[in-house]
Amino acid sequence: MVSNSYQYEDITPAQDLQPKQIRKLAWRSLLLQASFNYERMQAAGWLYAILPGLKAVHKNKKDLSKAMKDHMEFFNTHPFLVTFIMGVILAMEQKKEDREAIRGIKVATMGPLGGIGDALFYLTLLPITASIGASLAVNGNIFGPFVFLILFNIIHFGVRFGLMSYGYKTGVRAISKLKEGTKHVSRAASIVGLTVVGGLIATYVAFKINYTWVQGEAKLNVQTDILDQIMPALLPLAYTLLVYWLLKKGRSPLVLIGLTVVVGLVGSYFGIM
Amino acid sequence: MLLEAILIAIWAGIIGIDLYVGLTHAHRPVVTGLVVGLILGDVTTGLIVGGTLELIWMGMVPLAGAQPPNVVIGGVIGTAFGVIAGQDPKVAVGVAIPFAVAVQGLITLFFTIFAPVMHKADQYALDANDKGIERINYLGIAILFMFNALIAFLPIYFGAEQAAAFVETVPQWIIDGLSIAGGIMPAIGFAMLLRIMIKVEYIMFFIVGFILAAYLELPILAIALIGLAIALYDYNQNKHKQSPALEEEITDGI
Repeated sequence: MVSNSYQYEDITPAQDLQPKQIRKLAWRSLLLQASFNYERMQAAGWLYAILPGLKAVHKNKKDLSKAMKDHMEFFNTHPFLVTFIMGVILAMEQKKEDREAIRGIKVATMGPLGGIGDALFYLTLLPITASIGASLAVNGNIFGPFVFLILFNIIHFGVRFGLMSYGYKTGVRAISKLKEGTKHVSRAASIVGLTVVGGLIATYVAFKINYTWVQGEAKLNVQTDILDQIMPALLPLAYTLLVYWLLKKGRSPLVLIGLTVVVGLVGSYFGIM
Repeated sequence: MLLEAILIAIWAGIIGIDLYVGLTHAHRPVVTGLVVGLILGDVTTGLIVGGTLELIWMGMVPLAGAQPPNVVIGGVIGTAFGVIAGQDPKVAVGVAIPFAVAVQGLITLFFTIFAPVMHKADQYALDANDKGIERINYLGIAILFMFNALIAFLPIYFGAEQAAAFVETVPQWIIDGLSIAGGIMPAIGFAMLLRIMIKVEYIMFFIVGFILAAYLELPILAIALIGLAIALYDYNQNKHKQSPALEEEITDGI
């Protein structure tokens, strides 16, 4: 019983999703950030996007409930590239993969795709298309905004819909090859996932002390001269572990969000952050 | 002015949604310039101010969770003020920026107070209630619309300059503090992931990932690939071990 707790009750693979269903999911992915918040970020929007797919593959009500509960866990990635993850995850759900493996793949892909998406769309596509549009607009040319919107969205929607079916096909193919040894697959997925989480903490948690201690001629910058010397990203790691510890002690995430706001306000009021 | 202010407010509501949902990027100032220009009856000035604001806002994109000044409100108020007052676009930017910064602070606050709703969503998920999950997402969209429409309406209807003076009475430390808190916020999500995923045997991989980012400053993709290399090695090792597993147990005992 215990060893089966990560399995679905009904483990017969469901039928393949039809192209029409897949397109519908890609449309729904537009709402990924509809319920964005600091506790789960895109989780509820992610669940919204894949929901018809989950309903199609999990006819067993208990399994559907388990899957939905799992997909309410923290999730955050690039809103255009998310469809690739959706495709892979739905392929795994359809084959009734081990639930821990599904979670591992989700966490392992969301971070890297987030970084790639930022570089591709916000640092490349947007500046190029927006500057073409803006250069027309500043000369009073009415086509400027349209040129921008059309160029940007051809690529945006092309990527969104293309990756959805590509991710799904890749997922179905890869899983049938890895069918044996799902336990090893889920272990491998957890390894990649936790390596990425370690990197995400150092990269994306912005927690810095902005205070220089002055004594006569001597100046000591707390962040660069002390904390960074001990270990870079010391405060992001320490704060994340503190939150982890408080969560383990049963504190609600809401209290921790409140605590974080207070930390920000206090740090700002005393001018030390 | 009332009709124009309402129309501009509706546009602000729509693109306030687009900033997070849809992402057609119709919320960029270059598009807002045209629309606000149309509403106010001066398309050419609208285009010019919108295009100028676009170039200024080019680098202000939501990278790595950092929240730049809000482009929706900045674009709407900036172009509206530029067209109404016939000001140089650079001055219009000066008026728009305090709003854009303050609004982003409010959005941080909104993302914070929307967190409790997730517990309702958990319950819906447990009950396999798909309609409930959908309603929560539609609620978020409705709030984004109302919020942006209201914020855009007030300064345009009452005059951007008076409104800017009012915004500037909000102490800077509160706005800064909210933005600092927004930067720290991802720690909570990562801690929750750790809580779900971590096992003693996996701690070493977590440490490796952290070191690669903190000391070597590698991008996340590189870290994921290193993680993948370790996982593949581990996977193959386990596969080979699988068949003689019984013998191993016996020898372990000795």
